[in-house]
Amino acid sequence: MTDTQWRVYEVFHQQARGEPHVHVGSVHAPDPETALLMAKEQFGRRQACVNMWVVPQEAISATSYEDADLFQHTTDKSYREPFGYETTKRARAIGDPQEL
Amino acid sequence: MSRALFQPKLADDWQTAVADLLVRLADDELVIGHRNSEWTGLAPILEADIAFSSMAQDEIGHALAYYRLLHELGYPDPDTMAFLREPQDFRCASLVSIPKGDWSVSIVRQFLYDTAETVRLEALCDSAYEPLASLARKLRTEEKYHLLHGKTWLHRLGDATDESHRRVQTALDLLWPHALGLFEPTRWDRTLANERIQPSEPTLAQEWRARVEPLLTDASLVAPEGVEPLFGGRVGRHPPSLAELIAAMQKVFRLDPGAQW
Amino acid sequence: MVQFNQPRNDRPGDPGYEQHLAAFEARLARGDRVEPGDWMPNDYRHQLIRLIHVHANSEICGALPEGGWIPHAPTFKRKLALCAKVQDEVGHAQLLYRACETLGKSREEMIEELLSGKAKFSNVFHYHAQTWADVAVIAWLIDAAAIVNQTMMAEGSYGPYARALKRICYEEAFHLTHGYDMCITLATGSKLQRAMLQDALNRWWTPIMMFHGPSDKESKHTQLLMRWRIKLKTNDQQRQYFLKKYLPKIFNLGLTVPDPELRYDEQTKEWRYTEPDWEEFKSVVNGNGPASALRLQARRMAHEEGRWVREALAAAASGRTVPMSGAVRVN
Repeated sequence: MTDTQWRVYEVFHQQARGEPHVHVGSVHAPDPETALLMAKEQFGRRQACVNMWVVPQEAISATSYEDADLFQHTTDKSYREPFGYETTKRARAIGDPQEL
Repeated sequence: MSRALFQPKLADDWQTAVADLLVRLADDELVIGHRNSEWTGLAPILEADIAFSSMAQDEIGHALAYYRLLHELGYPDPDTMAFLREPQDFRCASLVSIPKGDWSVSIVRQFLYDTAETVRLEALCDSAYEPLASLARKLRTEEKYHLLHGKTWLHRLGDATDESHRRVQTALDLLWPHALGLFEPTRWDRTLANERIQPSEPTLAQEWRARVEPLLTDASLVAPEGVEPLFGGRVGRHPPSLAELIAAMQKVFRLDPGAQW
Repeated sequence: MVQFNQPRNDRPGDPGYEQHLAAFEARLARGDRVEPGDWMPNDYRHQLIRLIHVHANSEICGALPEGGWIPHAPTFKRKLALCAKVQDEVGHAQLLYRACETLGKSREEMIEELLSGKAKFSNVFHYHAQTWADVAVIAWLIDAAAIVNQTMMAEGSYGPYARALKRICYEEAFHLTHGYDMCITLATGSKLQRAMLQDALNRWWTPIMMFHGPSDKESKHTQLLMRWRIKLKTNDQQRQYFLKKYLPKIFNLGLTVPDPELRYDEQTKEWRYTEPDWEEFKSVVNGNGPASALRLQARRMAHEEGRWVREALAAAASGRTVPMSGAVRVN
């Protein structure tokens, strides 16, 4: 028996134009249209929403939490950040009028 | 409670016609919302339960808004209208009080009803009675989801399995004459049309059929032919299911009608 | 995505279990949440499944006693609010079953176990809701007791459960207000209404006192659950918190509580009460409560009557082309 199961769709909503779509949960549904129909009331009946996505769970590829270290920076990556530079001080030194 | 309370003296035919229309609109919404709310907690799947419950709440909310317009015309407050009138004082069509049946009956009924409601609300947006026109514009927004819901379900159940097709077609055959009864002409039809408050019931019925039939065809369903509409609701003649529903609805309120609940 | 075919080595004695366990407990000590793909002790997984499953079942069975009163709600506002509240319970069941599925048990399996009587649901839903005042007492005090429990659990260690509970607590705040509002109306209403409310409270008091579960002396799971931050407070602590917060409100409404032993101990700053009969509690949650059979019957009926609908939608969806790609794991 698989009749109560259907597949799982992950649900993302956008609270206002210009905001990012954010994951809010998931629903069991037989097809994408029905998933949207159901997600609309399960996840949109109180919160503001202007746009909703549903994505079949199988379509999502994910890293493993065991690989969270993939995202760690072990060596100095400050060259990617504004705080990695003393340019303001240097700009003042050469008389940049907007930094004085 | 005196009968006269529910039929206040109004200025003229024009107002009486408007009030009669509002009572019909409100009663239809309250009763179908009540029936659909009976599914809350018991629908075929959790997600569908939540969606159907929202629609029940929408309809009850619409009823409340119509009763408020009536209250402005001198009628009792919405709670008194809903919880103290006798069944014969209600003016709803028989479609809305039929017991909820299986999921196919409720889904087909809601589809037929929502399509009718949309046709009516679109017409009412241009009503010469501004309070009603402005309310219609507001309520129409919620009907958009209802229509999408109805079409989605009907389309899927209509030709998914032999069983689902049989059930949905049977429900359609059962409900069709009652649905035609939503457009029962009343003695106020001409006044409402002449005063540009609402097009006549036969005009609305025609538009409704033009919209419903292609959607039924898409869902592999056939609208019954040569069926006589079931009228009577608009003059207070109801099937026994309405009296049973009203008794359930008023059970607690009538324990102590003078109390706050 | 949890991969179930690989050996988890998650039981005492399995290779590497002790090292995994140490890392796992260190994570909890840091206050980190556990997520679905993480290594977790088999016991942790199973305690959570047991707990979330019962919680989800309780939401879906909890919809029944109140749902039966939606047709009788006595004003527009009550009718709309009660319908919305019961709808929320169904929504909570949906969220919780989904959270539990991340631990490897399917919703279908959980529902089958509920229907067969194998899986439990909360003691309070094994009783009848006899009058409208019962609806008020349930919405106020049972939801209040549930909030005490859920607010605490929302700080627990398992990410998906904590996230679901966060949203559930937000919605429960409406339930509590709706319930308290109904109780105030009845308590300040007519003689008939006040009598109804007192009668309802008299009948519900014992089930409410049992709601947080057996006393710490009897509860067999508490220690492990607290060690792994599944639970942050013991059953007795939760009960005490509930009493401190709600008894003054109950008395303020002019209501009495049917427990001759109930008194506030100024020294310990705690409420003393008659210890509930935990044998009776166990018997009730095992399906011998006054409404146990009725609740399961209602759920089985709904499930069976909905079967053709679920089958039809599954059939309608088969043959559709929806992008399917296996989960990719970066290793």
